[in-house]
Amino acid sequence: MGERIFFAIAAVGIISSAVAVIALRNPFRAAVALIVSLLSVALIFLLQRAPFVAMIQIIVYAGAIVVLFLFVIAYLGDRPPAIGVDPLARYQVLAWLAIIGLGIEGFLALGNSELPGIRSDPTQVSDIGSPQAIGHAFLDHFIAAFEGTSLVLLVAAIGAVLLARRAVLGERGR
Amino acid sequence: MTPSLSAAVAHHQATGVPLSWYLALSGVLFLIGLLGVMTRRDPLLLLLAVELMLNSANIALVGFSRYWNVSDGQIFALVVMVVAAAEVVIGLGLVVAVYRQRLALDVDALSRLKG
Repeated sequence: MGERIFFAIAAVGIISSAVAVIALRNPFRAAVALIVSLLSVALIFLLQRAPFVAMIQIIVYAGAIVVLFLFVIAYLGDRPPAIGVDPLARYQVLAWLAIIGLGIEGFLALGNSELPGIRSDPTQVSDIGSPQAIGHAFLDHFIAAFEGTSLVLLVAAIGAVLLARRAVLGERGR
Repeated sequence: MTPSLSAAVAHHQATGVPLSWYLALSGVLFLIGLLGVMTRRDPLLLLLAVELMLNSANIALVGFSRYWNVSDGQIFALVVMVVAAAEVVIGLGLVVAVYRQRLALDVDALSRLKG
């Protein structure tokens, strides 16, 4: 029972702060709400017996990525809100329709799923979430994916530098 | 569900969290993020909503990892985090570049590349 109460607390934290992220108009407040959401997701990871992923979630996601967000928001400072009325406002009802349709579809798919044991207690797992197990899995089976992620990060870093350089050059040309 | 399996399931005491709960949470979080992506105009808020969607995928991946009792889903979740970091770096780089060109930060106004 304890795990289910833990799950309920984390789930309420995730859903309420996620609603705050998309409802708040101020990017700074939305980013702070995102921190709460990401920390609650880390609690869910702990519940799923994935302590390493939970720690990475806190350090990299709630730490580095959100700090980058806050840094850029602070750098841009107070900006005037988007000018004029939203030209696509009349299409917003379509967005809501899509959300409701997808929600019903997911509800039906989950309710009719015949995956064995999907609605019952999970079996006791062996060690799959410790740093040791993750390291073994990465280096024994997923070495190509590991190298691929480093390539993705390198390309992203080069792209960011090029973007910043062109923005500075464009400014000087004025 | 086979009879022997349902008997085994009934024998279990209901204390842990079943996979379907994680999948439901993941689906709700994904829909909230999707709604944010479709209705917001500020690119910064758009990126925050995309983060929510990526996190919902991670909840499902780690949940399946626990369900099948293998590390693969957690590896996938870590790779998703790397991709999210790269996406944030490029996305924020674009936001800053647009801002420095003195253009309005409104994704609906940035339509020059529209086909």
